[in-house]
Amino acid sequence: MSPQFVDFNADGHLDIVAGIFDGSPHLSRGSAAGFRPPEQILDKDGHRIVLNQFWNFAAEQWETTTRCDLPGASGKGHLTSALAFDWEGDGDFDLLLGDHKSGRVFRRVNEGTNAKSVFSTKNEPVLADGRAIDVPGTVATLRLVDWNRDGRPDLLASSMGDAYGEQSGGGVYLFLNGGSEKTPLYAAPLTLVEASPKGQAAPTRPDSGLYADIADHDGDGDLDLLVGAYSHWSIRPPVLTSEQKQRVKEIKAEQKAIEDGFDAIFDAIGKATAGLDQKAARKKSAELRAEKVEELKALTARRHAASQKLAPFDPSPKRESFIWLYENLAASPAR
Amino acid sequence: MNYRTMIAALALGASLDAQMPKFAPPVRLEAGGKLLGAERLYPSPVYHDVNGDGLADIVVGDLRGHLTVALREAGTGIPRFAAETPLNGADQRPLDFENW
Repeated sequence: MSPQFVDFNADGHLDIVAGIFDGSPHLSRGSAAGFRPPEQILDKDGHRIVLNQFWNFAAEQWETTTRCDLPGASGKGHLTSALAFDWEGDGDFDLLLGDHKSGRVFRRVNEGTNAKSVFSTKNEPVLADGRAIDVPGTVATLRLVDWNRDGRPDLLASSMGDAYGEQSGGGVYLFLNGGSEKTPLYAAPLTLVEASPKGQAAPTRPDSGLYADIADHDGDGDLDLLVGAYSHWSIRPPVLTSEQKQRVKEIKAEQKAIEDGFDAIFDAIGKATAGLDQKAARKKSAELRAEKVEELKALTARRHAASQKLAPFDPSPKRESFIWLYENLAASPAR
Repeated sequence: MNYRTMIAALALGASLDAQMPKFAPPVRLEAGGKLLGAERLYPSPVYHDVNGDGLADIVVGDLRGHLTVALREAGTGIPRFAAETPLNGADQRPLDFENW
C-alpha cells in the first residue's frame, strides 16, 4: 500500500488514500473521532476502480477485467498505488494510479466535486515527454512534490525492480512538470536514485520494492528522500576445514529431508484439489492443511533450526526490509 | 547541429544539472532503538505530523494494509523517532486496510 494523507472529501479532516494490493484505491475517512474503516473508492457507475487484475473479495479469488481499458492497454495491469491529485486545477481531486506490473501511470478524472466525487470509468495513460510514462522497474508508489519550486506539482515515482532474482532492482525518478496549472506536462524522468545493481556484501542501500517519500527531513531547507524497501546482500562464505565441510554436508542432507517432507504434504494437497474451481480448491486446501498443521509446524521448526546451524558455514543470501534516508547535500532548488 | 541548437542543448543540460540533487549515501533510520521498517512486508513510509506538534512524523504502511507511526521526538540536531505504534482508527483499534 502507499498511504497519502489528504482531505479527500473536503470536510476539514485529513483522510487516508491508499492503493493496496487488492488492486483498488481505498479511502479511510477522517473525522473528529479519528479515521473510519477504509472503503473502496468507486467510479461513477458504482464499480471498483481497477486496472485489470483485482482480488474479488466475494468470490475469494483473483480476477481480471478489461472494462476500464482504453485501446492499446496491456490488459495485464495491477494497481497497487493511488494518489489524489487535482490534475486539471479545477478544485477537486482526480486519481493517479500506478501499475505494479508495468511502469505505467493512469488517471481517473473526477467529474464531480470533492464532497461528491464522480470518477470516470476508463484508465487514461499519463504521458511524459509525449509518451506514456514507463517507470523503470514498474511502479511501486507515486508522490507529488514541487521539486523546483515553480508552483507546479512534479511527480515522484519509485519502482519495484526485481524483487527476488538477480535482475536490476528499483530506483527513484522525478518527472518535472513544465505545464500549466490546468494542464500538467511532464518531462522525461530525472533519476534521483539509480536502479540497484544488487550484489552487495552488506545492506548498503534500498534494492527492491522502493517506496519513496520526499520532504525536508532534517530541517536544513532542502528536500531529502525517504525510501522503504528490501535490501539484498550476500555474505562471502568462510574457508571451511574438512570437518566443517562434512558438517555442512550433513546439514544440507537434513534440509533436503525436511523439504521432501513439505513436498510430500503439498503434492498430496495439489492432487486432492486438482480439477476443482478456485473457491473449492481453496476450501479443500485449507481443510487438508488444517489436518497437517502439527506436521507442518514441526517441519517449519526443523527448517529454521537447520538454517541456523548452516548459517555460520554457508551464509545464505539476505533480503530484509528497512527504511532509508537519503540526505540531500546539495543546495537543491527547494532551498 | 548548428551553433544555436548546440547552445540550446547545452543550456537545457545545465538546467537539468542544476535540478539534480547530491544525496549522501543512504542510512537506515531507527525508531525507539530498532530499525524502522524491519520485518515489514514492503514498508511504505510517508511523512505526516500525526500528533500536531509541528514535526513531521513517519507513518509506515505495508503490504498487509497495516499502518504504524514513529513519532518524531522534540529537540534539535539529528531527528530521532520514538518506537513505532499502530495507527489507530476512530474505534481506537489499529487501522487496517483490508487486504487480499
